[in-house]
Amino acid sequence: MSPPGTLKKGEVDLGTSIMAVSFGSGVIVGADSRTSTGSYIANRVSDKLTPVHDYVYCCRSGSAADTQAISDIVRTQLGNHAVELGRAPAVKTAAKLFQRYCYEYKDRLMAGIICAGFDPVEGGTVYSIPLGGAMIKQPFAIGGSGSTYIYAYCDANYRENMTRDEAHTFVKKALAHAMARDGSSGGVIRTAIIDENGVERFFTPGNELPFTLQ
Amino acid sequence: MVEENRADKSFPHVDGGFNFENFKRNVSFMNSDSGIKGTMPKAWKTGTTIVGVVFDGGVALAADTRATGNVIVDKNCEKIHYIAPNIYCCGAGTAADTEMTVSSISILQEPLRDTHDTGQISSQLELLRLNTAKSSRVVTAMTMLKRHLFNYQGHVSAALVLGGVDATGPHLYTVYPHGSTDKLPYVTMGSGSLAAMSVFETSYKDNLTEQEAIDLVAEAIKAGIFNDLGSGSNVDVCIITKDKVDMKRNFITPNDQGPLRASISKPATFGYFPPGTTKVVSTDIETFATVTTDVEMLEA
Amino acid sequence: MTGKNCVAIASDTRMGAQALTVATNQERVFKMNNKTLLGLSGLISDVYTVKQKLDMQVNMYKLRENRDMKPSVFNNMLSSFLYARRFGPYFIEPIVAGLEGPDNKPFISGQDLLGASVFTDDFVVAGTSESELFGTCESFYKPDLEPEELFETIAQCMLAAVDRDCLAGWGGVVHILTPDEHIVKHLKGRHD
Repeated sequence: MSPPGTLKKGEVDLGTSIMAVSFGSGVIVGADSRTSTGSYIANRVSDKLTPVHDYVYCCRSGSAADTQAISDIVRTQLGNHAVELGRAPAVKTAAKLFQRYCYEYKDRLMAGIICAGFDPVEGGTVYSIPLGGAMIKQPFAIGGSGSTYIYAYCDANYRENMTRDEAHTFVKKALAHAMARDGSSGGVIRTAIIDENGVERFFTPGNELPFTLQ
Repeated sequence: MVEENRADKSFPHVDGGFNFENFKRNVSFMNSDSGIKGTMPKAWKTGTTIVGVVFDGGVALAADTRATGNVIVDKNCEKIHYIAPNIYCCGAGTAADTEMTVSSISILQEPLRDTHDTGQISSQLELLRLNTAKSSRVVTAMTMLKRHLFNYQGHVSAALVLGGVDATGPHLYTVYPHGSTDKLPYVTMGSGSLAAMSVFETSYKDNLTEQEAIDLVAEAIKAGIFNDLGSGSNVDVCIITKDKVDMKRNFITPNDQGPLRASISKPATFGYFPPGTTKVVSTDIETFATVTTDVEMLEA
Repeated sequence: MTGKNCVAIASDTRMGAQALTVATNQERVFKMNNKTLLGLSGLISDVYTVKQKLDMQVNMYKLRENRDMKPSVFNNMLSSFLYARRFGPYFIEPIVAGLEGPDNKPFISGQDLLGASVFTDDFVVAGTSESELFGTCESFYKPDLEPEELFETIAQCMLAAVDRDCLAGWGGVVHILTPDEHIVKHLKGRHD
């Protein structure tokens, strides 16, 4: 048995830099696109931004198998919940479902998840569910192995009440710098803007990353 | 509550079926100094290069044909398995795991037991088709496989390339032993996956024709056969389109030893042992009773 | 090994604990029914256990269906039996040889300890002398041999191979199955 919080032999790792930022009327989620087994890149264009409902997304980091399994379960449960409720589920509900599994099975899982989305009550909301299964509401969240390189950058550059475009630029720039320094992050940047009008997805190719150091 | 212990009722096959009666015994064998652990035979691996690519209107799958244990145990094994009439799957990893996980024979159970409640993916899809009267979707097969593999937490070492064409078009997935999946236009798996991927990264383009796809996957497998020690022998190709599956078994045979062996001159008597060569200590012969099948017809 | 309307399984008769030879008259080839032979290499206690469990399945099949199990069916049954113990396997490697269908088509297969099958038209090998046997069989095998010729070929392949394996030898046994006979011949071999 491998110790908790580590990958099993040969397991597929998301490596990962992921991020979510709330702005005035919604949230922006973003991720790199690298999936690796050891030092081999198994997928260079993976999509770590996973929808769990119409207006709720999650950013996955850690074991690919674990996070896919959890988000599949949460998507099913949240769908059923929304039907019973008769309206869109709260982001808090989705985050709570993620947290339930991450906490309950924390010794068997390797999953760091950022759950973000829009609901009419609280607007754009970001929850971070790190390894042990905590659930923290934050104005913005970063996660994955690449996030350690950009904590200070994000702290210095995040502002409340950013416009949609400012927030978008902030996410892309932060991720570009995480991907540059972290070996297990890379590829392209995938972002999604979620607000009351729905979800709009963006793609920044690897040769157009807003990385400032040349 | 009959099913109270079932975590997931939609997949009844996942709740066990394996038999652990020898598990503790084998652990103590492995921990003993008596040398008994040396008697454990090695499980066969497929070694393997397997690939798949999506082309205009279909999916092309391909595999090498080498299986390895201590030596090459099979020079022409089949690694492209049937899942459904419109879905096939290439398997890499432990031979028994890939074979059993996707095969149509009913397994994970005592053979011939009265209750047959633990079939496998292809058997399950067959039943689903009979129940719904609709042809299978690739995503259904993928979900069944990933749930099964996730359930066993990587202990069932099957790495798969799953491809097929369904009502929603052509689809190609990789499924890893721990239960994660990727959906991509071109994929490789197995020990030769790096060699094969280098061919794809060089030559892949969008909207390939069927012939271009066949040539591309064959070239990728050849890269595995020649550059990866775990892969070898022949190239199998399987083309799945909307209304046709074309299984090209031994599409390319770059390692045919026939001509070489035929060219070696041997005396005519080589390998012929006339009766009486071997010294026999004793002979027992059991002659089977002949059963007469003639039936006397009775007058009506 | 396959011949013309006949199949044969050869085995040595040594049983040992590593280098120590414990017995020299060990049988590990069994007739499951008049159309099927089974050879089991590996841990001898597991050979007996598996043989007994399979005998039960074969007998139950005959009682239920009122016919003999075909070799291919037996092979699949054995495969599921072994894979059911995927996480606690028996330490054996089986070989199945038999005559299939009304025209007695030769059928042979080999499996690993988890039940992965290999089917061939010519020969399959298993056990500690596996690599030596591959060499002798690839050299000496010829298709469509008559039972008498098949016996000589398989016997020579076996004897030559075990002479290069410390853990096998001390005589051999060949089982030949034809549509109407089951012949067992014990061979004279080196005693070292």
